[in-house]
Amino acid sequence: MKAPFSPYLSSLAPGLKQLIADLAKDYDSVSALSTDSVGFSILISQHGKSVSRENLTTERGTVIRVRRDGQYAEAALTGFDPTRAGETAAWIREELNGQLAVLSELGVETYDTPATPDSPAELFVEMETEQLPENADIPALIERMSALSDRGMAEGKDMLDCMLRASSTHISKMFLTEKRDLRQSYVYSEGSVMTMASRDGRNEADYEAVSGRRGPELFDELEEKIGTALRVTEELLNAERVVPGEYDCITAPDVTGLIAHEAFGHGVEMDMFVKGRALGAEYINQRVGSDLVTMHEGALCAEDVTSYAFDDEGTLAGDVTEIDHGILKTGICDVLSALRLGSAPTGNGKRENFAHKVYTRMTNTVFDSGESTLEDMIASIRHGYLLEGMESGMEDPKHWGIQCLLQRGYEISDGKLTGKVVSPLVMTGYVPDLLGSVSMLSRDRKVFGSGYCGKGHKEWVKVADGGPYLKVKARLG
Amino acid sequence: MLNTIVELLKASGADAWEITEISERGWEFYCIRHALDQHRAKRLESFQVKVYKAFEDGKFLGSASASMAPDISREEAARMIADLLRDAVYVQNPAYTLNPSDGEAYAQSADIDLGAISRDFLQAMRTLPETVTEDLNSYEIFVSEMRRRYLNSNGIDVTAVYPVSQVEAVVNARDEGHEIELYRLYKSGSCDSAQLRQDLSELLRFGRDRLRTVTTPSLGQIDVVFSTDAAREIYDWFIYRLSAATIVRGISDWKPGVFVSEEMRGDRVTVETRQILPNSSANAAFDTEGAAVRDLTLIADGVVRASFGSRQYSQYLGLGDSFIASNFAVSGGGASAEELRQGRFLEIVEFSDFQVNVMNGDLGGEIRLGYLHEGDKVTPVSGGSISGTMRELVRTMRFSREQRQYDTRLIPAVTRLKDVTVTGAE
Repeated sequence: MKAPFSPYLSSLAPGLKQLIADLAKDYDSVSALSTDSVGFSILISQHGKSVSRENLTTERGTVIRVRRDGQYAEAALTGFDPTRAGETAAWIREELNGQLAVLSELGVETYDTPATPDSPAELFVEMETEQLPENADIPALIERMSALSDRGMAEGKDMLDCMLRASSTHISKMFLTEKRDLRQSYVYSEGSVMTMASRDGRNEADYEAVSGRRGPELFDELEEKIGTALRVTEELLNAERVVPGEYDCITAPDVTGLIAHEAFGHGVEMDMFVKGRALGAEYINQRVGSDLVTMHEGALCAEDVTSYAFDDEGTLAGDVTEIDHGILKTGICDVLSALRLGSAPTGNGKRENFAHKVYTRMTNTVFDSGESTLEDMIASIRHGYLLEGMESGMEDPKHWGIQCLLQRGYEISDGKLTGKVVSPLVMTGYVPDLLGSVSMLSRDRKVFGSGYCGKGHKEWVKVADGGPYLKVKARLG
Repeated sequence: MLNTIVELLKASGADAWEITEISERGWEFYCIRHALDQHRAKRLESFQVKVYKAFEDGKFLGSASASMAPDISREEAARMIADLLRDAVYVQNPAYTLNPSDGEAYAQSADIDLGAISRDFLQAMRTLPETVTEDLNSYEIFVSEMRRRYLNSNGIDVTAVYPVSQVEAVVNARDEGHEIELYRLYKSGSCDSAQLRQDLSELLRFGRDRLRTVTTPSLGQIDVVFSTDAAREIYDWFIYRLSAATIVRGISDWKPGVFVSEEMRGDRVTVETRQILPNSSANAAFDTEGAAVRDLTLIADGVVRASFGSRQYSQYLGLGDSFIASNFAVSGGGASAEELRQGRFLEIVEFSDFQVNVMNGDLGGEIRLGYLHEGDKVTPVSGGSISGTMRELVRTMRFSREQRQYDTRLIPAVTRLKDVTVTGAE
């Protein structure tokens, strides 16, 4: 079925068009983004259950962008009344003029930016889904998740909890200017199993997730995650510390995705080029990885939680080849950064929600696959680790330093897994060295969309990343 | 809309209900160097609604919640409440009660002038001691008036109005052909210009030192000193283990009378909740469930005295009247900051992202700037990482009598962890 576009947003459109026309008397480049995203979240734990008809990406509101004298400004609001567009226009003028008075008093100069081209366009997209979150059988879902939690407790040892989460969102967004009318609707879902156990005063937990641009039918896949989570938790309870040093490593697809995200995700967000915060700007058309490394970024290059039809600035979704056989080709860009850099936007202007500013953000960030099998890759290592379980990462685009906090490593000795597990792991390095060391890639690849990405330490948005198994040299601590 | 929601809830058949009306007025300024990239205003309102149904003669309580937009129609709101009551049947938890009304109408209000606070921040950022080689790359200023009104079916109706501000700052430092950046995200109530200047001046100095770092050698195990905001992670491990939900879930075994560590050869920590910390972004007389917030000692001299938490988990733990604390003060250090900086140690002031896993106490992070102290010799270092676990490090950790505040946390200014593993970058 099609995910239907929000009737609420349709009802706002005439009033918003009136508002845009009104503001166009005083400003240029006037645009409006309205959102109406509904959904739910469920948490099942042995120590408490909860259900909510909201989650981190449900929202309803409007943001207006305007430009005057080279200066861009925005006003975000809830409760836009389409019959009182004039009142909203007056509020926007009053607030923005109030701010300009303070700025003028302090002599703050403008970062002059060209006007946004407004070429005519119309788009109406309702993407396919099996189910809608607003029609989901919540009671049945809670019962199934409760049964899985009970099963996890029964099958695991020294269990503290077996926690399941499920959230699903039906997103509707409408982008309007004087000449553009873009409307999209799609559904995405994510779920997870978290097993927690305690033995001899040591607590350990594993987190296994599912995600996709799908409806609540996705949660059928949670069942198969229970066994994995229990096995990994047991491994962690018996894990040893790694001897710090540099090793031959194989990164599992989730860790590969983390590297993609931290290394050349943030590093080529071109709003960072505008600020002079990214080394990537100086490395376009230069080698940044081995010849085996090709990486794509864009809402169109995979189908996952952030595979939309247009971004939060009304730019159509894209698929950018960032690295082509080890050569850095280009970055990703929002509209204002593109105007400042003289380049083209790539469909990567995203907001945490309507109330937040747009930044250049990732969507799907994925390494291309290779020719090897995982077995061949393991067999090629004399002493090293197979790294699995990404916990978090942090980039340093100015230096191309990378930090990945990883959950575990499986020891490889003389081409075979020994059964020894080390945990936790801090993998650090210099991005070109790490990507330059890629010597084998597996044929298959996976994409993971269960995480959120921050810009600095805020502005959390949905992203997906992944790739194949990679053989690299990495420093572990 | 609020009256409509209350009316619908009273007629809905819910056994109990809660509404939190959240309103925010905000101003934002984004600067590249000191030029204005963008300015933004916002006016937001929402209603968080939670309904409860009792089952099996009150042995179990079901609940479900939703957020309602201010322009939701009466029909939509009624339908949503009906959905919530249906959902609540399937999420039954052991019974607990909502906070009772103590008859006090906390109408905590403040005259919040967004323009004045914004002006203070903009002025402070524009008068920092920048130089040709150390300066601000970019910064973002967020100033909001938060208005939070909480009502429940027991008759509580309280309102808090308070400022919440945030500054994100990126600092550059450069020498010939080489430039680095450092990052900070400061949160506070309103603008404390002097504190902001002090913190950012320190960051500019760190930037200069970062330029002359050498690669962190493999140090094996060495004492590590924390003197910047990364130390919050260390003390949040204590706070997390004191939360009623954490204890009920079995993640923490701390209970009154228990020492935080079996062996305590270092300083004995004291942890307290505070209703008010100067210029905290969370200064309110009541929590998100309408409970009065107060000062409470959670750990005294290394011995657990109390825990805290939501109404649900506090009652499961038999805590009686508790609350969700937001402000915390940590003390108990036996030495001065200067005394803790003696001997051989690595003081790390910048991490890529230092984290303590609250579940198991494992800690780690990549070093962006540290100072290796070996007698009189001090070497700025960068790269490599540290790892360890609070389960072991808590036994010997020491911290200063002097304190430093990071928004909702007043913690020792200097913390020294003994024998932390440092993986070099060589």
